[in-house]
Amino acid sequence: MVTPSTRTSGLIDCDIHPVLSDFNELVPYLDESIQQYMNIGKFAKGALAKQNSGSFKFPSSPYANPLPVPLRADAFPPNGDIPGSDPAFLAQDLLDRCNTTYGILNIGHGTMAAFHNVEVAAKYTSAANDWLYDKWVKSDPRYRMTMEVTPLDPAMAVKEIERIGKRPEIVGINLHCVNIPLGKRHYWPIYEIAEAYNLPIVLHPDSEGTGEYAATAGVGPASTYMEWHTSLGLIGQRNVISLVCDGVFEQFPNLKVNFIEYGFSWVAPTMWRMDKNWKALRHEVPWLKMLPSEYIRRNIRFGTQPIEEPARPKDLIEIIQMIGAEHMLLFCSDYPHWDGDEIDRAFLHFPQDLKDKIFYHNPLESFRF
Amino acid sequence: MVNTKEKHRLVVCSAEELQEGNRQLIEVNGVEIGLIRAEGIIYAFRNSCPHQGVPMLYGSVVGTMLPSKPHEYVYAHHNEIIRCPLHGWEFNLKTGKAMFSPDVSIKTYEIKEENGEIVLYLDKEPKQVTRKAFSCILSS
Ligand code: FES
Repeated sequence: MVTPSTRTSGLIDCDIHPVLSDFNELVPYLDESIQQYMNIGKFAKGALAKQNSGSFKFPSSPYANPLPVPLRADAFPPNGDIPGSDPAFLAQDLLDRCNTTYGILNIGHGTMAAFHNVEVAAKYTSAANDWLYDKWVKSDPRYRMTMEVTPLDPAMAVKEIERIGKRPEIVGINLHCVNIPLGKRHYWPIYEIAEAYNLPIVLHPDSEGTGEYAATAGVGPASTYMEWHTSLGLIGQRNVISLVCDGVFEQFPNLKVNFIEYGFSWVAPTMWRMDKNWKALRHEVPWLKMLPSEYIRRNIRFGTQPIEEPARPKDLIEIIQMIGAEHMLLFCSDYPHWDGDEIDRAFLHFPQDLKDKIFYHNPLESFRF
Repeated sequence: MVNTKEKHRLVVCSAEELQEGNRQLIEVNGVEIGLIRAEGIIYAFRNSCPHQGVPMLYGSVVGTMLPSKPHEYVYAHHNEIIRCPLHGWEFNLKTGKAMFSPDVSIKTYEIKEENGEIVLYLDKEPKQVTRKAFSCILSS
C-alpha cells in the first residue's frame, strides 16, 4: 500500500462515490409534494411495487453492468449495506489506506439530471446536496464535496449555487452532460456564477442514457454495457469541442471545467484537428483569439480514471507529453466503482514529479480549496 | 509439516472449515493464499490480482461465456471462474489462467482434502505461516 515514504506530495482524490442506502434517507430534506411523487416516507405504498404502475421510477441506466457484483466486491461495509453507503467505513477503507489528504465526494445515483420532470429533479438534487453535506462532509474533516445542479434549468441551478455554493467544503459544481452541448448560452448563467464563486464545473458520467434528456452517444444506441461504457469518451470529446468553439473560455476566462471519467488520451488528436480547422475556419468563430488547444490547456482538466492501458505502458506518458497535459490531470480513484484505480499500481510508469502534480498540485489548483 | 519429495505439506484447516461457499485466508512466507470450495471442489490461489493487486478472495465465483460466433452466447465453466472483485478479470480456478489470455494468470497451488484436513502442497518450505480472519459478503 502507499505510505508517505513512497509519495512526496499530499493526495487529493477527486472522485469518490457515496450512495444512499435508501431513498427514505432523503425524507428529512424533501417537502411533502416530492415525497408523495417519489412514494417515500409516509407516502410509501408498496401494493404495486412489482408492477411500477403509477409509481415513481428512479432514472437508472438501461445498460446494467453485467458483473456479478457491479461495485468493488472488497468494499462492502461491515453491516453488509452497499459499498459507498457508510462514511466511517469509507474513510477507513480508502482515505486511511491510501493516506488521502482530501477526498472529493461526487454523489453516486444522486442525480436526476436528464429526468423529464425538472421540478422534481431540482428538488431532489437540493435534497441530495443537503444529505451529502450532513451525513458525509460533517463526518470527517478530509471529506469535500461537489454540489449538484439541474442542467436543464439554469435559473434553478443558479439559485441552488447561491443557496449553498459559498460553503467552504464545497469545491466544485457537478453539472452532468445532457442533450444540450456544454458550449451553449443556455448554461452561461451557471458558468457566470461558477466563475464568480471560483468553483469549477465538474462533468462525470451519470445521466448518459438514464433519462429522457440524456446526451446521445454518437450514432445510436449501444448494444451492450461494454459498448456504452467505451463510448462515454465520445460525449466528453464532443463537449470539449462545444465549450471551446462556442467561446465559453473567452467569455469566462477563469472558468475551469473538469471532465472526470471520460478518459484523456483522445485529447491529443482532438486538439490537432481543432487547431488545424481553426487556421482555415477561424472566421466562423472569430471570437477565438488563440489556438483551440490553448483554451483546452488553460481551462479544461481531466480525471485519470479509468486509467488507459496501452500495451506498452510508457505510451501513455508520451501521450501526456503530446497533449502537454502534465498540469491537466487529476487523480481519481472512483471508489467504490468496478472500474476504479488503485493508486499504488495504476501509475507505476509515471515519473515522480508528474505523480506529485496529478496526486496533489493539479487538484489543489483546479478545485476550490 | 512434512517434506514429501519436492513438495512441502501444510495443513491449513479442517475440511469442516472449508465447506461449500466458505473462504479461508492464510499467509505463507509473506504471501497470502486464498482458499475456497465451489461445487465441492477445493481451490487455492494467490490472493492478489495480477492487474492492480486487489485481494482476489473477495471475488465472485461464476460461470462465463466461451468465445463464440457473433451474437451467440455459450455458457460454460459453471462456478469454475473467479472474477477479480475490482475490474472483473476472469480467472479459471483450475488453471489460474485469465479468460482473455493464457499469458495472464493467478498462481494456483496444489490443494487436497486428506482425512478431514485441507492440505496445501507447496514448492517452498513454509517458514512463516499465519491464518488470517476473513469474511466477505459472498462467503457463507
Ligand atoms: S485489479 Fe483485478 S482486474 Fe484489475
